[in-house]
Amino acid sequence: MEIRKDYYTGLKPVLYTIVFEVKKQKKKFYVFVGITILIAFLVGYVLMSIPNNLLPDTQLDFFINGLGFILYLTLFAACLFFSGIICSEYSKKTGFIVFPKINKYKLILGKYFGNLTLVVAIITIYYLLLALLGFYYYGGPINTLLFSSYAIAILYVIALSSFVTFFSSFMRSVVVTIIVTFLILFIGFNIADGIVLLVLGDKFEPLYSLSYLGTLITGILHSPFPDPRYVEFTLGGGDGAFGGREFTIGQWITPSIGMGITLLLIYIIGFFLLAAILFKRRQL
Amino acid sequence: MSEVVLKFEKLTKKFGNFTAVNGINLEVHRGETIGLVGPNGAGKTTTIKMIAKILRPNSGRILIRTDQSDLEDLQKVSRTTNQIGFLIDIPAFYNMTAYQLLRYFANLHNYPKDQIDKRINELLELFKLTEWKHEKVKNFSKGMTQKLGIIQALIHNPEIIILDEPQTGLDPLARVEIRRYIRELQSLGKTVFVASHMLYEISEVCDKIALINYGSIIGFDTVENLAHILKTSELNCVLLEPLKPSELESLLKKLTEKLHPYLDHDLDPKISMIPIKYFPEQQGLKIFYDGQNKSKGEILKILIKEFENDFTVISFTQPKTSQLERVYTEMVKNNKLNNGVVRKNGN
Repeated sequence: MEIRKDYYTGLKPVLYTIVFEVKKQKKKFYVFVGITILIAFLVGYVLMSIPNNLLPDTQLDFFINGLGFILYLTLFAACLFFSGIICSEYSKKTGFIVFPKINKYKLILGKYFGNLTLVVAIITIYYLLLALLGFYYYGGPINTLLFSSYAIAILYVIALSSFVTFFSSFMRSVVVTIIVTFLILFIGFNIADGIVLLVLGDKFEPLYSLSYLGTLITGILHSPFPDPRYVEFTLGGGDGAFGGREFTIGQWITPSIGMGITLLLIYIIGFFLLAAILFKRRQL
Repeated sequence: MSEVVLKFEKLTKKFGNFTAVNGINLEVHRGETIGLVGPNGAGKTTTIKMIAKILRPNSGRILIRTDQSDLEDLQKVSRTTNQIGFLIDIPAFYNMTAYQLLRYFANLHNYPKDQIDKRINELLELFKLTEWKHEKVKNFSKGMTQKLGIIQALIHNPEIIILDEPQTGLDPLARVEIRRYIRELQSLGKTVFVASHMLYEISEVCDKIALINYGSIIGFDTVENLAHILKTSELNCVLLEPLKPSELESLLKKLTEKLHPYLDHDLDPKISMIPIKYFPEQQGLKIFYDGQNKSKGEILKILIKEFENDFTVISFTQPKTSQLERVYTEMVKNNKLNNGVVRKNGN
């Protein structure tokens, strides 16, 4: 009983910090919720209302289309919610006030879970709206693969957040952290994937890339699951745009479910450990 | 003497080759107000950061008396922060309302839930911030932010309060208020540890002063006792009426004769050329004496009895600040002479 009480007492600062963080980020959260609703409405309703734009044949295809924006949404949310999680305590010097009051790991843990709660809420709202629209167009029941996709999206956003938290543990300013992580996640990984694909084609699957791992969110909705997962398209030929020449472009559609989940978990654990090591060494 | 609540034992902190704090030994007793005085970069904030566990000492330790125990090593005690309230550096807050921040901090300190609101209201009222309770801190002035910084250090009603440069960036009126709050804490029996480079602020409120220079404590005592190292001390006498210019010369001569045994005859020309000076604008006399407490009393007696027909003394004070400034200068000088080199670059 005593042990349980101590355990709870030790956890209380984390819980207080979660609640405080949620209140602190309220405004940012409302803005994101607004954007989320707007995107879901545009993608799931306005686009479908355009006469020439045909509604996908199946509910799953509708979800795949609708989730095209989820990677961007999670990426923006992760960058904006988690970039200041550690470095702001140093750059804004708020650490001088809070570090003497709470173990700094508990503080960061509380801040992390507070922000994660909000980001997960944003994703949940998006999925919920998509599910409702799916139901509106195709009737019930909602395909259970959407729940699998939702679970992968949560895992993906945790991986993104641990990646951003890692950068926040050694960067000096919040703005720089946002810019750097955004550039790496949005542009860096995609450029690297493009080069790897061009050079190595189907010989090397870009499993290092968070962007590629994110494709599992929509990849898991394919029924049956894509096999093979590497496809090639041929462009040009005949009297086409490339002067009769043919181009073959390859593409990895999605990682396998097992490998994708494993690598996302490795990302989460690895970057959290690195962030903790750097955070420990950092001094105010 | 009351029990020791905080003790530094050979406390040392180095940053690379630079020794920020160099083997500090210091004891703080319950209910005392201690001032840590030194120029910028002397090691004051580093010392405080080590008490707050923001920095780890390279060697030495800080001992603290927790509620139920003897002195314990601060690094080994997990729940000491509830006993100490800190204001480190210029306070920076998350952009929330004063109430939200204070409630969060009180919760972190495990302050009884049903008493948090009462405590917040009490402190906000004491620091005249009640009207700002639900305002975001970004709308606060520098002085108000500083006050909020002090409130957050007191929110959990700690036994020991550690304030780092509490008057920094404040206007004179706000500084007076801060001094008043420190005195109020003293009257409540709290142990207060104030670090500052502002000698006046420190000398006005502290029982004892630790002079720190290049990370080493070069003196630790009351201002009066520290002043014993000075060959010269000064006294300020304010007079009821201004002295007549025609009588001034003869009066100063008479004063010098009568006070002769107590005056400093080997006066440092940098301080003054003559032991008694008259300042018409202040309507007062400055007397440089030998620094003995007994001499001070004798001087006062002579001024009242033997000069009652010449002037009336309405104030007779020893300016602590200028004294402390000179003590500090003298000690730094002695420290250099005694040790050769004050700063040791980690070797």
